[in-house]
Amino acid sequence: MSVLLQQLVNGVMQGALIALIALGYTMVYGIIQLINFAHGEVFMVASYGGLATYTWLLPEDLKKVPYVALPLMFVGGIIVAVIVAVIMERFAYRPLRNAPRLAPLITALGVSVFLQEFVRNVYPNATSNLPYPKVFPEGALSLGGVNISKTGLLLVLLSVGLAVVLQTYINRSRMGRAMRATAQDPDTAKLMGVDPDRVIVLTFIFGAVLAGVAGILYGGYLSNINIDMGFQTGIFAFTAAVLGGVGSIRGAVIGAFIIGLIKTLAGQYMPGGTQYDYVWIFVVLILVLVFRPQGLFGEPERVRA
Amino acid sequence: MSVNGTSSGKRSALAPLGKPFAIVGGVLAVVAALLPWVTFGLNDGNWPDKSTLQFFDAPFEVTGFRWHMLLLGVLILVATFAPIPSRGRVIRALGWGTALVSFVNGAYITVKGGGLAAITALDGAVAFGSIAGLVAGVLTILAAYGIGFEPVGQWKVKLSTPLAYLVLLASFAAVLYAVAALLTTGGVGAANPYAGAIFLSFLGFAAGVLGALSGVGFIKWLSALSEQHRVFSVIVLAACALLLPFTDAGNEYWMTVAANIGIYAATAIGLNIVVGLAGLLDLGYVAFMGIGALVAANFSGAATAHFGIALPFPVAAIIAAIVAGIFGAIVGSPTLRVRGDYLAIVTLAFGEIFTRSAQNNIGGITNGSNAIPGIPQLSLFGAEFNKSLTIGAVKLPAGVLYYVLIVLLVAATMAVFANLKFSRIGRAWIAIREDEDAARAMGIRTGKMKILAFLIGATLAGLAGAVFAHKNGTVSYESFKFLESVTLLAAVILGGMGSIPGAVLGAALLFVLPEKLRDFADWRLMIFGLALILIMRFRPVGLIPDAHRRAEMIERADENAEEAHEEAKRA
Repeated sequence: MSVLLQQLVNGVMQGALIALIALGYTMVYGIIQLINFAHGEVFMVASYGGLATYTWLLPEDLKKVPYVALPLMFVGGIIVAVIVAVIMERFAYRPLRNAPRLAPLITALGVSVFLQEFVRNVYPNATSNLPYPKVFPEGALSLGGVNISKTGLLLVLLSVGLAVVLQTYINRSRMGRAMRATAQDPDTAKLMGVDPDRVIVLTFIFGAVLAGVAGILYGGYLSNINIDMGFQTGIFAFTAAVLGGVGSIRGAVIGAFIIGLIKTLAGQYMPGGTQYDYVWIFVVLILVLVFRPQGLFGEPERVRA
Repeated sequence: MSVNGTSSGKRSALAPLGKPFAIVGGVLAVVAALLPWVTFGLNDGNWPDKSTLQFFDAPFEVTGFRWHMLLLGVLILVATFAPIPSRGRVIRALGWGTALVSFVNGAYITVKGGGLAAITALDGAVAFGSIAGLVAGVLTILAAYGIGFEPVGQWKVKLSTPLAYLVLLASFAAVLYAVAALLTTGGVGAANPYAGAIFLSFLGFAAGVLGALSGVGFIKWLSALSEQHRVFSVIVLAACALLLPFTDAGNEYWMTVAANIGIYAATAIGLNIVVGLAGLLDLGYVAFMGIGALVAANFSGAATAHFGIALPFPVAAIIAAIVAGIFGAIVGSPTLRVRGDYLAIVTLAFGEIFTRSAQNNIGGITNGSNAIPGIPQLSLFGAEFNKSLTIGAVKLPAGVLYYVLIVLLVAATMAVFANLKFSRIGRAWIAIREDEDAARAMGIRTGKMKILAFLIGATLAGLAGAVFAHKNGTVSYESFKFLESVTLLAAVILGGMGSIPGAVLGAALLFVLPEKLRDFADWRLMIFGLALILIMRFRPVGLIPDAHRRAEMIERADENAEEAHEEAKRA
């Protein structure tokens, strides 16, 4: 029983991490119908950005004060992620906005490979796992035989909190309305005075901020990072976004928790164990796409004229 | 192409400067070819005593890329004065060639020679060759914008059949020569430390000349001619491919590389059916090649094979193709309900499931990360395929039999592709690609057709995989990961979707470049990613676009250009 509970807790924590990235996928797809394959790499780059901030920018005495070091790492990681995302949108995706749909998808693959290799070549020792600094709350709360790591708790709180903030922003604010309008019908939105370029850049920036938070927390939760983390976690996040219904904020978060739970529970209980947890996630993805392509919360896709 | 709209402003400013710029550019390119390019020797010693790099530093002596510069300069001058069609396009291509050759060599010398002093002035030695070349290139490109871009030239020349055969023969011989030159420039593998730079420089030159030939309308005319005499062209092309071992490229190293290219080219053609014809994006395609390779490996009699039986290669290859085909149909079945980007994700998911399962040695048939080594080499009448072969007085390099086998494989794949493309099935696929709902309304059974596309594509990949297993002697899941799928897809797109020569060219470029660019091994994939972005940005139709696709994406722009040109004439 406590094994099951422990795996449920782990699953929720993994899900919270995936949710932060899945939100970026779902927002970008909702607005420009682009599967931004490179979003996982933005998350990876942010993680390295945070590490770089800690290693080279923070003075030695501040490194020992987690209450200062951790927020500054978040800031560093987020800034790197946002810069990368904005450059990527401006120079890779924007010129292709009216191109055939295959073109931006392949560009996204190219950006993904480029970012991964760039970090591999430029960041010192990036070819091996890099340890993440210990500025996160250490230890775990013990609750009836179940260990809840404090970093994991922070992860869940931040993830759910940010998702709620985002949802509120999109539903309530003026800019959020512009985003929803652009997602529904870009041309009409333009006629109504919405600047689509601005909306799209802002969407990328929001996605990058969330990915930045996720990048730092990933390092804290698993205590080391490598350049492959972006691709793997990105695929999980994308699966979560699809599962929840691409374009839906709530769907992405719930989908992410489901994926996290599938991963840990399948690793524990399915034949093959953790070696095959990855496979089960893809099996779920395929089944969802085949039997409910609009996802759990998405609208059925209209055929575009 | 936005040539009309955006360049009209530039044209008005540059128009009077077109010709003078072109003349200066051409002359400067010729001068650059004769200037020294480097101020000191690169190999532990000063020029000229210890330097082995004559290629770069011999002043007033024309070798290697200097020939290319000289030729480009002369061609620019000729193009400026000779009455040729579409002068602007020709000059632009030549300008890019000049700029690229100068840039590659200049950048290489700068990086390896320790800073800008290497290409300017140092200790009384001056070397402004690369800078002069770069200026020449830029001037020439600007000149082209001044001259303006007329539509690509139309050649109305009709040839009698024997003469046409002669022209085709000469052209294909030139292609053979170019391929051999491309493979052998810069020497073999790591033997020449400057191989990467020399090769890139040659590539720049080749791109410039090809662009000029295409601008003047020659390529269009030639492809129409070869289309007219298709059977003859195919025979000559196959003969040329089989003659490659007799050229300079006929050594063991290049036979191996060419054979590898061939395997990936055959796979890329298979993928081209799925992506290029039927328009279904497949991001896990290399898994089918992996399945074919694993099946062939398991039936090869290798020590670690799961089945302890050694089937003859043709039988094993057929089983491999069938098994891969079955998996293709399974992977393709979601197409009944899933479309577009989502389908791409489903195929990606299948690809990842394959990689993971193979990595974990599912059912004991993949041997996980230990791979299946020791797959026996193929042999025919006692001649092992990886040994060299002596026919009469001619000794052919080792691996030549694999090369021949793979040329035949590629030819067979091409034949399958071409026949399908121009058949009822192929037209159905193209209709589905263009508009699935309309295709269904026209009575095409879209579901069946889409699964058929996956099935046939996977079968071809499985066949290629079986050859791959024997040629490399070992099969590991490592060779069939996501990046390989992306590379294959990039090969198809780079070459031009739906186009047969395009897939071969794309595979050749993407799998030769890494061989040539060992200097840049670490940066190779990064350049690859950047190249994907740039191709999608500047030439999404690929290098050799399929005629049908081209009609869709370019011809409308060309028509506009033509109209504008007519108007300009009237005015």
